[in-house]
Parts: sequence; C-alpha cells; structure tokens
Amino acid sequence: MLNPDSVLLLQGALGLYLAAALVQFFLLGGERRALRRGALALTGLAFALQTLYLAAAWVQAGYLPVTNLFSTLFFFSWAMGGTFLYFELRYRIGAAGLFVLGVTMLLLVGALRRGPMISPLIPALDTPLFTMHVAFSFMGYALFAMAFSVAVAYLLPGFLRPPSMPPRDLLRRHNEEAILLGFVFFSLCMISGSIWAYVAWGYWFSWNIKGVWSFIVWLFYAGMCHAKFVRRWQGEGYALLSIAGFFVVLFTYLGIGLLLQSNHPLE
Amino acid sequence: MLMKEKIWDWLTSLKLAIVLASLATLVIMAGSLIMHYHPRLFGDLDAVTLGQWYPQAARQAPLHTLWMPLAALLLLAFGVNTLCCLVDWLARLRSRWRKTGEYLIHFGFCLLLAAFFWGHLAGYRTAGNVLPVGETLALSGHPGLSLRLDDFRPVFDQTGRRPLDMINHLTLLDGERELARKEVRTNHPLMHRGLVILPASFGQEATGFRVLVPGQGTVDLHRGAEIRLPEGKTLTVLDFLPSARRMGDRMVPMGGLTNPALHLRLAGAGETLWQGWYVLREGVPQELVRQGAALRPSEPLYRTYSILTINYDPGARIALVGGLAMCAGVSICIFSYYAKRRRQDHPDIV
Repeated sequence: MLNPDSVLLLQGALGLYLAAALVQFFLLGGERRALRRGALALTGLAFALQTLYLAAAWVQAGYLPVTNLFSTLFFFSWAMGGTFLYFELRYRIGAAGLFVLGVTMLLLVGALRRGPMISPLIPALDTPLFTMHVAFSFMGYALFAMAFSVAVAYLLPGFLRPPSMPPRDLLRRHNEEAILLGFVFFSLCMISGSIWAYVAWGYWFSWNIKGVWSFIVWLFYAGMCHAKFVRRWQGEGYALLSIAGFFVVLFTYLGIGLLLQSNHPLE
Repeated sequence: MLMKEKIWDWLTSLKLAIVLASLATLVIMAGSLIMHYHPRLFGDLDAVTLGQWYPQAARQAPLHTLWMPLAALLLLAFGVNTLCCLVDWLARLRSRWRKTGEYLIHFGFCLLLAAFFWGHLAGYRTAGNVLPVGETLALSGHPGLSLRLDDFRPVFDQTGRRPLDMINHLTLLDGERELARKEVRTNHPLMHRGLVILPASFGQEATGFRVLVPGQGTVDLHRGAEIRLPEGKTLTVLDFLPSARRMGDRMVPMGGLTNPALHLRLAGAGETLWQGWYVLREGVPQELVRQGAALRPSEPLYRTYSILTINYDPGARIALVGGLAMCAGVSICIFSYYAKRRRQDHPDIV
C-alpha cells in the first residue's frame, strides 16, 4: 500500500478531492452544515493520502522527492491541497478556495499522467538548501494561488456571490493573510536558493531569466505587503493586485519554463 | 512643520516605497526581456561582475543597457527609503517593538542591496582556471595568494562514463603560509574572506612518454627527466609535445595526442653530443641509436588537472547576514501577525 511506485494513493486522493469539490459546488446553493463537514472530511482524507504517499516516497528515496516533473507536480499539488485545507479548517473558506482545489486536482492529474518515477539525486542537488528552496517556493506559489482565488471571490458582484461564501470583509483578511504567508515562504525560498547558488556556482544572484523574475515576484509582493497599509489600495485595489501578482507568478513558474530558456526547466 | 521633518517624512513614506518598488519591478521586467532577446550582448552575465561587464557593454549598446542603471538607481532609492524607515523605527523602538519582524526584513534587504553592489563593484569572477595535481596557481586578483591542488579524484556514475562529482584537495596559501585547506566538491567550495573556489570540470593531458631502455627497463620521460647511458653519457628531456608538427626547423605544438615528440639532449664528458627532436612515429634518431640509446616507446604519461572557478565577492558575508536577518524577520512576522490579530491590534492606515 505504501509503495511509491503504486499510484493507488494518488488516485484515491484525486477521487476524494473531486468528491470534495463536487460537494463544495453543491454548497454554492446554500449552507448545509453536514455537507460542509463532509467536504472538509473528504479534503482532509485526500490530503492525508497525499501526505502518506509523500512520506513513503521520502523514506524510500532518502530525500524529499522534488527532482523531476512528476515529483514536482505532485509536491506542488500537495502544497496546494495543504493550503486549501488550512484555510478551510481555520476559516471555512469553502467555495472561495475552489480555484485552489481545482488546481490541486489538475496538478495531480498532471503527475499521474507522467507516472510515478523518482529520479536519483545527483550531487549538485544533494543539499538541504535545494530541498528547502523547492519546498518553500511551491508553498509560496500555493499561497499566492489562494490569494488569487480569494481575490476573485472578493471581486464577484453581490448577485453572483453564493450565500455560503464568507463575507467580503473576511475575504479581504484571508487575502491579506495568504499574501503575507506566501511572501514569507517565497522569501525563505529566495534566501535558501541564494545560499545554494553561492556554494554551487560562486554567486548568490543569477541573471538567468528565472532568477530575475523570481526577484520580480518577491519585489511585487513586498510592495503588496506595504500597499495593505494604504487606504486607497485596500479592498478592491488589493484584490486586483493579488490577481496581477498571480499572473506574474504564473509567468515565472510556467511561462519561463515553457516559452523561454532557463536554468530551471520544467522537465 | 519644519523642512527637515518634511523631508524625513517623505524619505520614510510608505507611498514612496510602493512607487519605487513598482517602478523597479516594471523596469526589471522590461530589462529581463531585453536580456532574453539580446543574448549576444548580455551573454553569460553570471560569469563576470557588473563592474567588469557594464562599462564596455554600455559603450557597445547604450540603449539596450540603459535599463540597468535605471533599475540600479530605483533599487538604491528603494534601499535608502527602507534604511530611513529602519532608522525611524529604531528611534521609536520602545513603542514599536512589535514590528521587529517587519524591520528585520528591512534590515536584511538593506544589507543584501549593499552586498550586491559592493560585490559587483569590488569583486571579480574567473572561470576555467586549470590546476594540475601537485601544482600551484597564483591568484591574479589577490597578489601573494596561491592555490595548490594536493589531490584530485573524479567520481563517475555506475556506467563509469558520466562524471558525477570532482573531489579536489585544495590548499590556499599566502606565500608559504597555509591559510585554508579543504576537500572541495560540488556544493562544498573552499571559502576564505570573500574568495570562493569551486570545481567546474577536469581533464587529462599527456606530459611525457614511458619508454623501454635496453638494460634499464621502463623509464618515464617527461620534461627534466634524465637517463644515464653507458660511458658516462646522459640523455635529458628538454621538452615534450603531445602533438607536434614540423614547420621547417621548428616544432609547433598541436592539439590532442596524435604525434608525440620529445626534445632530447645527449651529453657526455661535459659537452653536448647531440640535440634534437625524437618524433615517436618517425622512430629513434640514428645518432641516438649509435650512442646506445635505442629507446622503445610504450605508453603516454598522463596527469590530471582540475578546472576551477575562482570568484571573489567581498559582500558575500554581508549578504549572508542580510539573508539570515530576513529569515528571522519573516519567521517573527508570522507569529506577530497572528498575535496582533488575536489582540485586535490593527495597523495604522495612511
């Protein structure tokens, strides 16, 4: 059961996430406590299965498996699932986090299509700094995705907003929290990446396009962390910035990997 | 309000920080695309410092490089704004200590920015430094310092073809004095006061040839080696070329190991009896055979060399302190964020 070569756990997690998403959709029609608890339980169970798979793969490989596309897609989906679960457990965010749930499933499907395969660890990647760099970056990205999801929910016009969704004022606070947590993890990712770059290549800032755009992402969200203290930028302005920021993140993670050449290839 | 206070308020302004961060973001976004679409101009920018690269590049393409000083200016202004905010916070620390996390991030950012510019202006980067085992390399950027490669061992994968790692035993010397000694391999560089020495590649070169000398067995012939022959004669190796080509009377070195040649001198009773090139493919020169040196080549002699990257970044340690300060700052920020929320401690909105 705990064999990382078997995708049973991942298929189970995908099925449970799908069921949770369907229940969340159903909840858009109106609040039902029993169903909400059911959706939360399904999400929790799916995340537990993912965590179990991650732990098994980690134990078997002897290192955090984030060395190829399958394992990074899986890890990213795990970070997304964890982010949704955190906000759902803490704030009953429900439908406002549906986008994150959707991306979690998409990433899982992507990982399952690649098939479970964990690349051996080459000496260049055999450092805790690499593990920290990758883990923090995906956790940061997941939180920025959550901020995007909440921002879209915040900007929904009143007549489109389902009654089960948290009130706007709470959504604004959730958005700010997601941005702050994302910025924290992304800062840790940048610092661990810089220290790793220094010991691996002899310089701590790289002019490679991925390095430059990671700095842009950091600078953008650093600006956002300041903007929340400016009245004019609170509320809708902040939500719009969250959406714009997520597009910068998407370009940094996907656009550069797919369209341009970088030392952080997707494959 | 006094003019001084007005200027200070402007320098510590939150809105100024947002404007500068936004402008810097936009300029760097545009610059990154210019870099991507002009690879010839920007090339491998990581191989040199900006201080070495920028003056020439700016002369060559002033328009395409204009974004760099602009971004530098905006980031410096953002840095000054951050520093002023930090000083302002320090002056009111007693009432604003709850923001320690946020201001540790500010402090870290200022240090990182200072370290970046210092490193690029006062540092240097060199790649492709060839250092054979047992030899010493003078560091051109650091007069008096040199690097000795005591031992080298490549690590290959299971097929034995793909190199995975390079284990270098390096000693950093100041004249004869040993400053640092370390086993250097991937992710484990030798670091000493801003100097960082990393393995980049390795190779082998032929340094001589093993020959069979009748009555003496095998002898290794490399530059400086001597063979004692009967009647008190000696044969000395003056030079070795792994691949030589005749150009009139001269021998010109070529690449690879295709036509090895030894430059030899035969001496006896204090005088040179013969001196010339022994091109191994052409057979032993007649004069040597007559003098009793009928050499029979057996195999080439190789020596391994390491190719090292040697960078100097005087700001690296400051950057590390900045990074650690930022790590501490963001960690405190998480805890203080939730603590403030529990206390209903709302931030000041401007």
